[in-house]
Amino acid sequence: MNEVITFIWTVIILSLIATVIISLYGIARRPNLTKKLIALTIFTDTANLLVVLLGYRLIYPVAPPVLPSFSKEALQTFVKTAVDPLPQAFVITAVVIGMAVNVLIAFAIIQIYRLYGTVDARKLGEKQSTLLKEGGI
Amino acid sequence: MKRLVPLIILLITIFGLAYYITPKLPQQTELRPLGEFYLKNSYFGDYSAKSPEVVTSILWDYRGLDTLFETSVFFIAIIGSLTLFRLNKKQEEEAKQKAEEFRIGLTLIIKSVTRVIVVMILAVSASIALHGHLTPGGGFQGGSALAVAPLLIIAAYSKYALEEHGLDKTRALIFRSIGLLGIALVALVPLLSGGFLMQNQPIFPAKLGGQLVSGSLIYYNFFEFLAVGAGFTAVFLLLAIPEKVFKKFLRREANE
Repeated sequence: MNEVITFIWTVIILSLIATVIISLYGIARRPNLTKKLIALTIFTDTANLLVVLLGYRLIYPVAPPVLPSFSKEALQTFVKTAVDPLPQAFVITAVVIGMAVNVLIAFAIIQIYRLYGTVDARKLGEKQSTLLKEGGI
Repeated sequence: MKRLVPLIILLITIFGLAYYITPKLPQQTELRPLGEFYLKNSYFGDYSAKSPEVVTSILWDYRGLDTLFETSVFFIAIIGSLTLFRLNKKQEEEAKQKAEEFRIGLTLIIKSVTRVIVVMILAVSASIALHGHLTPGGGFQGGSALAVAPLLIIAAYSKYALEEHGLDKTRALIFRSIGLLGIALVALVPLLSGGFLMQNQPIFPAKLGGQLVSGSLIYYNFFEFLAVGAGFTAVFLLLAIPEKVFKKFLRREANE
């Protein structure tokens, strides 16, 4: 039984790593800036999930890191079953800060679209070089 | 069919690799010593934060300075977004004017449902934030939930409905500044009585009126709730300005 659980655990981690690789491909190879942003959000979310999984424990009664009752006896069983709280504390801030940074990138993309009329990275490069030659900027 | 080939290759690779490395992996059944320290000390113990919620006590007490700087990153990201979309006073007044051909919002069904749900979202987000020291949740999550309410109103009615009822960009920014200022002040209070920055126990009382408030955690959660919720509201209000209005501003600037 325990081997099956470890197998499922390994499959989850490997799928997350595969998702990271696919989203890195999306960031590097898609020319559309909006699609790059979507790939970036997938990348951050997968990274956050991997960090949360670092704190998980492969035991059967596993509890969240919230003390169930205020007694010293409860504390003993609590320490035996609870997951590691530290990775969760890091991810809480990372999720909200990541959202704010994504909003900033989205604003930049909208502004680029207004100024250049395109969000294609290749066309943006061409337009910029012609603008620089003509001295338009 | 051809598009399925990479997917099948990926699945076979993942399952094959998993089958191969499963027996070699170490079993992750033990806590790390640092995690065990936090679990033991969060409520009982010598380095207590007087909170049964271990994640919140790490967030605002043990690793409080980390969170303080994360909040400053949040501050800078929101300020950056507002700077990219900045308007002068005249343009801001103009952006608040409704276009004449503007028809107001979605159908009556969606509007009535939104009216009920927005109140529920406000209550739930306040509960998430203010019970952050007792149950899973806290200022960050509560603030993100709070920001959904103006977003729903913008979608179902319009951004003009929010502005007519007094929640415009300036007000949202004031609320956000109150939140950030509150966090900074609560972080500085322990210095007055000879403690260190962001100290929690024993400077703040753990219980107020018989209720467990876990020292400074509830204040931090509340102010972070305000800062995150109002910051996102300001950003969404800017995003909701119609593209036509912005095009008009840009064209006018190009002509001048």
